[in-house]
Amino acid sequence: MSLTPEQKTLGRRNFLKALIGTPALAALGTTAALKGPLSGGPVKAAMIGTGDQGRLLLGQCRKEFIDLKALCDINPKRLERAVDGLTKLGWPKPRLYENWKDLLNKEDVEAVLIAVPLWMHSEIAVGCLDAGKHVLCEKMMAWDIAGCQRMLAAAHKNGRVLEIGYQRFYNPIYQAAHDNIIAPGMLGDIYFARLVWHRNGSWRRTEDPPPPPYDPKPWGYPDWEHLLNWRMYRQYSGGLMAELGSHQVSVVNWFFDSHPSSAYATGGIYRYKDGREVNDHVYATYTYPQGRTAIFTSVQSNKFDHYSEEFMGTKGTLILRGETEAFLFNEEDSKSTTIEVTKQSSNPVIDASESRAADAAGRTIAGDRTDKLDRLASYGLEIAGFCSAVRARTPLRCGPERALKSATACILANESASNKIAVPIPS
Amino acid sequence: MHPFGSKTSQRAQPVALIVLRTLIGWHFLYEGYYKLILPAWTRDGHPLARWSSAVFFKAASGPIAGLFHRLATAGWTPWIDRALETGLVLIGLSLMLGILTQIGCWGALVFLTLVYLAAIPVQGAPQAGSEGVSLLVNKNLIEWAAVLVLLTFRTGEIAGLDLLLQRRRKTVAEAV
Repeated sequence: MSLTPEQKTLGRRNFLKALIGTPALAALGTTAALKGPLSGGPVKAAMIGTGDQGRLLLGQCRKEFIDLKALCDINPKRLERAVDGLTKLGWPKPRLYENWKDLLNKEDVEAVLIAVPLWMHSEIAVGCLDAGKHVLCEKMMAWDIAGCQRMLAAAHKNGRVLEIGYQRFYNPIYQAAHDNIIAPGMLGDIYFARLVWHRNGSWRRTEDPPPPPYDPKPWGYPDWEHLLNWRMYRQYSGGLMAELGSHQVSVVNWFFDSHPSSAYATGGIYRYKDGREVNDHVYATYTYPQGRTAIFTSVQSNKFDHYSEEFMGTKGTLILRGETEAFLFNEEDSKSTTIEVTKQSSNPVIDASESRAADAAGRTIAGDRTDKLDRLASYGLEIAGFCSAVRARTPLRCGPERALKSATACILANESASNKIAVPIPS
Repeated sequence: MHPFGSKTSQRAQPVALIVLRTLIGWHFLYEGYYKLILPAWTRDGHPLARWSSAVFFKAASGPIAGLFHRLATAGWTPWIDRALETGLVLIGLSLMLGILTQIGCWGALVFLTLVYLAAIPVQGAPQAGSEGVSLLVNKNLIEWAAVLVLLTFRTGEIAGLDLLLQRRRKTVAEAV
């Protein structure tokens, strides 16, 4: 249909007049400024590394947050075990891969959970980030500082979420302790933190290898023992400092809102002379700014002490034990207080109540009254928080910058123990 | 005095009708849009599950609850879901933009009738998850009556794309 110029003008005018008669345009314009929900379902993800830690994470995945599409592991037995576990939990059978590069090439996933031996963190995480995937990588961030820095740079370069698996940052007890006790200064001036992770065992695992012709050599392990017990060998592991200490050092960094300026560590292979290369006893002293010190000890010859982080201030002491309990001791009257984390709102709320004082052995029965949290639930919250960051860009609770600092502290503590010298930690 | 009030109120009447139509249209449009984009996430990072009419039908309690319950279990849920979601959006667009307004009004009436019949407030007491207290008359029924007003006043002839199309047809007819 051809319209005369007059008709066109009239038509445009009528159109505008008709629409001006309704607030529809204004309403539609307003919607652009309103904040509605963000489209998108659960984050489509894959997992690389289905050993003990990987399976632990898989068990904590919630379907409303994450959609597990594929699994990858160089050990077919572990892969099979992971699939069994997932299907028992009602997940559809994921696609399986032996090589993580094949997974990246073939799978249309948005995110990857990485739970492989420490020495491979950097290579796989950077590969995933460069492929445009968001990454949740198990702690410690990487085997060396350069690897951590490559991961951080890859996350920034590709604009992807990178979270490191320090589940304490997602634990409601730790959040409550930080927000309601540490940050308001309830402990007064804190000069000392004691970090304890003692166990009485070899840390060695025993398991039959997959049936022949399985060969771990193509994956960088000379034999089955090196793959199974990779934590014992320096080429793959950072030992107790990386596997245990990094959790606790990251908490101290968080609570002190700082990071250590130097580390001095000692230790050795004193009990288990079984061919391992990493120390079975580790004692590390960290110096923080403002006269603060944190001491981490990890022994494999005694488990009397449950693992804990203790913050000692001029007005009180906070003890976080086993990731499930928290105790607050008032310095003045030596009364202990349990911290009960309630689920009254979306944010953890603490409800402090006075209870019996610590007994002569330094223990308290207050723990019996504490609402113990499920330790594993923190892993679920960590995965949920990661997925929220992917979808809604909510802030990460730990994040790669913090993880880099705690990893640096742990790597340099190992260097200190090896060289028997105090090592300055760069900021 | 004019039977429909002063000149000012006469001028305000069509505006009021269009405001009413636009608001009801937005209500339908957003309801449909929201259901269509699910599953989604809140801005603070909480997942919102996919919507399903089966939940609504299963909870029906009115005089035709049996029919709704059968619908919930008939295996047509995905088709019903998509039809309802799309229908809500189309009704919303129709009322907001004033296009095919009468059809949009009929659609809105049918939809609101279903919603009302599925949960007629006969208890006269507060219900979990609902605001205020109703006995027989609830907000769905009031919105139904408001749409009835829009239908009978033929608001598409006051403002909107229907009016534009009508004028264009008239102009073309005159030109021929």
